[in-house]
Amino acid sequence: MNIGKQFKEGLLTQNPVLVQMLGLCSTMAITTSIMNGLGMGVSVLIILTASNVVISAIRKIVPDKIRIAMFIVVIAGFVTCVDLLLQAFVPAIAESLGVFIPLIVVNCIILGRAEAFSYKNGIGASFFDGVFQGLGYTAVLLAMCFIRELLGAGTLAGFRIIPEQFPVGILTLPVGGFLVLGCLIAAMQWALSKSKEGK
Amino acid sequence: MSAASKEKVQMDPKYIITLTVTLLVTCVVVAAALGGVNAITEEKIDAINKEKTEIAMKAVVADPDNTTFSDKLTLTDEMIAAAGSVTLDSVYEAQVNGQSAGHAIKVVASGSQGKIEMMVGVDAEGTVTGVSIVKNAETSGIGSKVMTNMPTASGVGVLSQFEGKSAADGTLTVGGNVDAISGATVSTRGVTNGVNAALAVAGVLG
Repeated sequence: MNIGKQFKEGLLTQNPVLVQMLGLCSTMAITTSIMNGLGMGVSVLIILTASNVVISAIRKIVPDKIRIAMFIVVIAGFVTCVDLLLQAFVPAIAESLGVFIPLIVVNCIILGRAEAFSYKNGIGASFFDGVFQGLGYTAVLLAMCFIRELLGAGTLAGFRIIPEQFPVGILTLPVGGFLVLGCLIAAMQWALSKSKEGK
Repeated sequence: MSAASKEKVQMDPKYIITLTVTLLVTCVVVAAALGGVNAITEEKIDAINKEKTEIAMKAVVADPDNTTFSDKLTLTDEMIAAAGSVTLDSVYEAQVNGQSAGHAIKVVASGSQGKIEMMVGVDAEGTVTGVSIVKNAETSGIGSKVMTNMPTASGVGVLSQFEGKSAADGTLTVGGNVDAISGATVSTRGVTNGVNAALAVAGVLG
């Protein structure tokens, strides 16, 4: 187990959104305000870590043929728990994220990591994989939220930074999500290829 | 179809039973865990939803401080028919000092991006006392102006303009007796349809 390597992979070289291209739908849909991004990022981090640990723990008794069905049952269980807890204890976040919390069930980051990592690795490694991949996802969400909320709505976490008449409203619309995500992916790929050349 | 799918699948009955039992056990365990979480959160979620409805209802009656609300009334076919293409969600009777003071009617109209859940207050005389939006998905910065009651060109809030309207004004139409927010005609029309439906339902209630 190499925690340092896993950390670097989760945040940079194997970033779930910018490199693996997983979970793009939710990334574009909910990144209109910092609070949304934080709520979604933390929810995914918790669900991913929990499902990674459980799937890793049961990987020896799961028959190969029905592993995907088992993964989905476990993931759906955790997602529903988080959804209920959010609705009960932080209703404001539950309301602004709406249907995107239940949709984490089909977020390919979670199923992807179950299949690619925790089904083949030990509990400890799977735990850290969940945390770091979750952090990588959250970091991208926050970057998107920062750009879209600041330039699109002129606020940060609800506080007005840029006077109302200047922001580029289009950035908060779906088209703005595509534009910002595209730019981020391009920047990431450029940085990664640059660092490869350097070696 | 690929060659693989044509292969005759031969499985040991024991293996099939293993598959079934493993999946069944997992489902039972997960269901039990969910039941546990649900037991903890159910009451809180109910309370929050009830409070939200209460706030929405208070916002649409003339005298919020002295008004209490009945439980949901049973919806009759006649009421649902009166709402027409708009979905009638629920109706509550508003009471001031035990006297009926009209109704709070929750309807679901369609906006430009999806459903607009809204609460309409209608007093005992059949006049609209207020309109508030419970839930919507209108475009941020355009349709959302209607949802947050921004003023129309005439200077009156787009939701506030419905106050005082009644069935006597005939069917409310955008451009006729309702002003739209410029650029958000579809959202305004959605809300207008909702108010029309609520007035029709109130007419049935008497």
